[in-house]
Amino acid sequence: MGFGIGLGAEEYDRSYKDRDLVRRVLAYFSPYRKPLLIVTAFLFAQSLVNALIPVLSREAILQLEVAEDVDQQRMYIILLIVITLILNTLGWIFNYYRQTLSAIVIGDAVLDLRKDVNISVLNHDMSFYDKYPTGKIVSRINTDSRDFGQTANQLSQTASSILLVGIMFAVMLAINVELTLVVLLLVPFIFIIALSFRKAARRLTLIGQRALAVVNAFVQESFTGIQIAKTFRQESKLFGKFKTVNEQSYEANLKRAYLLNFIFPALSTIQGIALALLVVVGGTATLNNNLRAADFYLFLQALQLFFFPLFTIASFWPSFQSGLSAAERIFALIDTPPAVKQNNNILANKVRGEIIFNDLGFAYIEGKDVLDKGKPSKGKKDANKEVKVFDGFMLKIQPGESLAIVGHTGAGKSSLAKLLARFYEFQSGDILVDGVSIRDYDLKEYRKHIGIIHQVPFLWGDTLANNVRYGRTDANSDDVRWALEQAGGVDWVDDLPQGLETNIRERGSLLSMGQRQLVALARVLLEDPSILVLDEATASVDPFTETRIQEALEKTIKGRTSIIIAHRLWTVRHVDRIVVLDHGKIVEEGNHDQLIGMNGVYAQLYNTYFRHQSLEYIEKAVELS
Amino acid sequence: MQKTFSNSSNDSTKAEFSPEEDKFSHVRTSSRRWIIAHLLSGPNKLIVVIIFMGTILSSLLGSGFMVLIGVAIDEFSAGDSTNLVFYTLLFFIFAVGSPLLSLLTSLTRENLAQRIERDTRHEFYVSLLGKSQSFHESQRIGDIMARATNDVRMLNFMVSPGLSLLFEAIMRLLIPILFVAIFYPLDLLVTPIIFVILFVFTLRGYTRQLDPVANKLRGEFGAMNAVLNETLSGIEVVKGSTTEEYELNRYFTNAKGYRDAFVEQGRIMAKYIPLLLIGLAITAALGHGIILYIDEKLTLGAIISYVGLISNLRFPTFISIWVFALIQLAISGADRLLDIMTKESEIDENLEGVEKKIDGKVVFENVSFSYPGSDKNVLDKINLIVAPGQTVAIVGTTGSGKTTVTKFLSRLYDPNEGRILIDDIDVRDWKLESLRSQISYIEQDTFLFSDKISENISFGRTSEIGEIQRVAREAQADEFIEQLPEKYESEVGERGVQLSGGQRQRIAIARAFLTDPRILVLDDSTSAIDSDTEDKIQKAMRRILYGRTTFLITHRLSQIRWADLILVMRKGQIIAKGSHENLLKTSEEYRKIFVKRFNLDEKTLLEEVK
Repeated sequence: MGFGIGLGAEEYDRSYKDRDLVRRVLAYFSPYRKPLLIVTAFLFAQSLVNALIPVLSREAILQLEVAEDVDQQRMYIILLIVITLILNTLGWIFNYYRQTLSAIVIGDAVLDLRKDVNISVLNHDMSFYDKYPTGKIVSRINTDSRDFGQTANQLSQTASSILLVGIMFAVMLAINVELTLVVLLLVPFIFIIALSFRKAARRLTLIGQRALAVVNAFVQESFTGIQIAKTFRQESKLFGKFKTVNEQSYEANLKRAYLLNFIFPALSTIQGIALALLVVVGGTATLNNNLRAADFYLFLQALQLFFFPLFTIASFWPSFQSGLSAAERIFALIDTPPAVKQNNNILANKVRGEIIFNDLGFAYIEGKDVLDKGKPSKGKKDANKEVKVFDGFMLKIQPGESLAIVGHTGAGKSSLAKLLARFYEFQSGDILVDGVSIRDYDLKEYRKHIGIIHQVPFLWGDTLANNVRYGRTDANSDDVRWALEQAGGVDWVDDLPQGLETNIRERGSLLSMGQRQLVALARVLLEDPSILVLDEATASVDPFTETRIQEALEKTIKGRTSIIIAHRLWTVRHVDRIVVLDHGKIVEEGNHDQLIGMNGVYAQLYNTYFRHQSLEYIEKAVELS
Repeated sequence: MQKTFSNSSNDSTKAEFSPEEDKFSHVRTSSRRWIIAHLLSGPNKLIVVIIFMGTILSSLLGSGFMVLIGVAIDEFSAGDSTNLVFYTLLFFIFAVGSPLLSLLTSLTRENLAQRIERDTRHEFYVSLLGKSQSFHESQRIGDIMARATNDVRMLNFMVSPGLSLLFEAIMRLLIPILFVAIFYPLDLLVTPIIFVILFVFTLRGYTRQLDPVANKLRGEFGAMNAVLNETLSGIEVVKGSTTEEYELNRYFTNAKGYRDAFVEQGRIMAKYIPLLLIGLAITAALGHGIILYIDEKLTLGAIISYVGLISNLRFPTFISIWVFALIQLAISGADRLLDIMTKESEIDENLEGVEKKIDGKVVFENVSFSYPGSDKNVLDKINLIVAPGQTVAIVGTTGSGKTTVTKFLSRLYDPNEGRILIDDIDVRDWKLESLRSQISYIEQDTFLFSDKISENISFGRTSEIGEIQRVAREAQADEFIEQLPEKYESEVGERGVQLSGGQRQRIAIARAFLTDPRILVLDDSTSAIDSDTEDKIQKAMRRILYGRTTFLITHRLSQIRWADLILVMRKGQIIAKGSHENLLKTSEEYRKIFVKRFNLDEKTLLEEVK
């Protein structure tokens, strides 16, 4: 099997020119230019010292031989020992500062990058999250940024290597010009070989990183849905899939590792050939007495010291590829423009709550599975499938009005709420709040005035109190109690092991669904929004909780514009106005009594619904058996 | 095979799922032992030996090359050219042979590294699948992800380049000392031996210092991953509450924690003492050599090469900074993996347990339950007898324990006290596979895997599309599935079609039709279904209850009326049970449900009963 499953690019992936990538990578390190320079200098000094110690001690020892008397000899000995000691200590100090500084630079640059990419991800609208698995995004932000950090080390190592190569080159020239020229002939080969790995290294690294992201996403999904898997004994199926995904990552990363391991042996071969050539050429020269044997030996020593930094320079570009490919993945994520646009920064200090949907046009773009399922041609065709939801939709909601939206699944009820909250971007027409297009408001300020309760509440793995005060961290525990009270009572809280301070576990799994919804409601009430949207808020809760929420809501919707999306018609009888939606169009409008009087769609829905709850129906249901 | 299973069920690694023989259960007591066991398991043993030999051989070849050059030059400068061709040939063989050898070594090493990563991840994943539901609820998924991807990767890095660098370091430490011992007066061994002793000693101090930082580094990474994963999973709430900044700060705090640990690690690596020691050793060697020279026991050339040999120890000293950091990180990573793997799963697969068709009698005997780490009972002394084929409705306020009660049937949890009997056999004595395959749940919020609709219905039970369509029709799901772009082949979940709560529930009902369970748990199941399909759904429901023991968590009167027995729960206790008529008369709690819900006054209700 090859790279079949899940290793394609995401839709937001793009390829950058290397020059642009490098420029941007450097931009992340440019605030740390000074420490990086120091790191390079220390690295250089350290290698220089290490190279100097043997040369110096050799020279000094040779001086011992020609020393005139015992005193002078003793002086040389002391001098020699002192110099060696100083140089070694210096080497250690250089190393200390270099390591410390480079750890700080890498740590900080990676932190900057993680922050930037997180900001960009948080700014995406919901259509982005509908499309891309969070597991893969997480892998990009946290794992790829680590590879990115390594580029700093590579940069400073290469810089100091260039200095070293220059020095060794000068030394070699001083010893023998002809031999140096022979060596020079080989240098281009080293670079050609190293650079030829570049493209393949980039491609295989990218695939390796993707493969790991797939593993990450798979693990995430497995254990998010573990309960279902358990109750249906699906472990072996998950396990089978895991084996595929894990094997895929294994193969991808092995290929990459294999390739990268070819570089150094290939370069060493060149080095070996160079040495062999030199010995033959130099040996002949020595034979002809054109070259002193000692000089020749020294030259060979220098050559060894010349090659090592040269390799570092030559392999810089291939090994830099993993940093670049990580950078490319991250920058693609940063550069994806959020679909929800903001045209102006009008601050909405206070919102009365008048809402106008004016000639609204909206379609979901189903950009699913572009390349990710191993059948790209088919996927591409579907890539931009539009699902039209609204076309020329008109609706005006008065400030403080409570409006219910009812209708079948797919009628567009939830879309309306999501558009109002700016979770998705509409394509035509406009939505005005207090007469201002919602695109002109400062997005965050605007959202503060809208409270939304979703059908399935999402809670954090944190304490109950922190969950309630999630939108308003300044709230104290009295406020939290008050909010819970408003949401239908706090009696149940005291039954929890640590009351308000109980940790309610991953996604609130310690609480029942009904309790979770009460917490979600309290969370919104604490924010005191001007516009309240209930998106089938009571659909997943039991009737006790529903009744509680219902009673709480009757109080809380006063003084706010409320949009209640419901399929349980019992819950909407008391609202000011009911709108019946069908395929994105309003088909009926009025209050409960009026709509019943019309004897149209609403009346039919209502009757069906109520019939199910009537005692007559129940008796019939019993007879069904 | 069977023998191994029964052995492993005696120790601490009982699991709910064990698809293969567990070779490593006995070494999970310590991360070091576990890592070594992996390095030596099966063909890996051979690879480690190959890496070892390869590393030695290629470093010998490298120095052999230099010795040869020296010999050749000496001959040349003496004016002897007889061996020129021979040397030339030999040089080229060395020039190609040595890199080839190191290539082979490093390819083998990579192979081992990647395999260790794959195999330990595999082992970790299998272990996770075997954990109980209550275990999973106590874990942060983002942290689990970090362990499964990044911590496992640390083991890879430990092998490549860590392992071969370690071998190389050892070789490069021993060979110069060996040379000293052979070619020099024995008292010149004093310096290198003292150095090695101090080196080993300070190296221990170094790894001890690294240990807590490596742990912190891995832990912080896990926390950072957990926070990010949670934020992105709840992104709709984040946006709705405009807490992007708060979430960013939360992430930043963790990322900063990771950064601090990283810098701390850098600082410890920088403070590496052996590097200072080697400087002292070189100086001492120099001094010692000169003393011997003055006593005329050593020539000048000998001092130079002696000091040169001691200087060669700089390489292994320096490289050990990285080698031991890599090893330490791998140990921390392994600790984090083992930490999860050795946590006892409260429920085991019980392969020797009872395996037969369930008749459907269910008995609860004094069942009490509390979450780990809490002494408050979520359920308190539940007693219940249900005859085969009966339908039991459970009603009660939110948090009263309705859902929890049903989770004991298929052992998603085990009770702290009391027992549950199915067909008069304790559920703990059933084979887990047999038990779970005969019990189905239809949940309030149905989770769908990122897969095709057909797969989400069949879960691999059947590939016959006709069969899948039949159950979808029975569950009233056929109609909306047919309207999807690729019908039964449409992908759902994170990357595919988004289904509404009602549609997801119908998928779950279809699943249950296919599994044809003996015991069925319906949790509030029709509450999210559209009014217009309700008639059909009710019929589908009614059909699926037939002939099996069913627990209905519901407040729909229509469904309650199907029940043979109704339980009223409050605060983890059954406060009343009986028939609808009976309960209306005797239980105030029960009456309240209907009074509030249907605006009926109690009198009417009571009259209705009469």
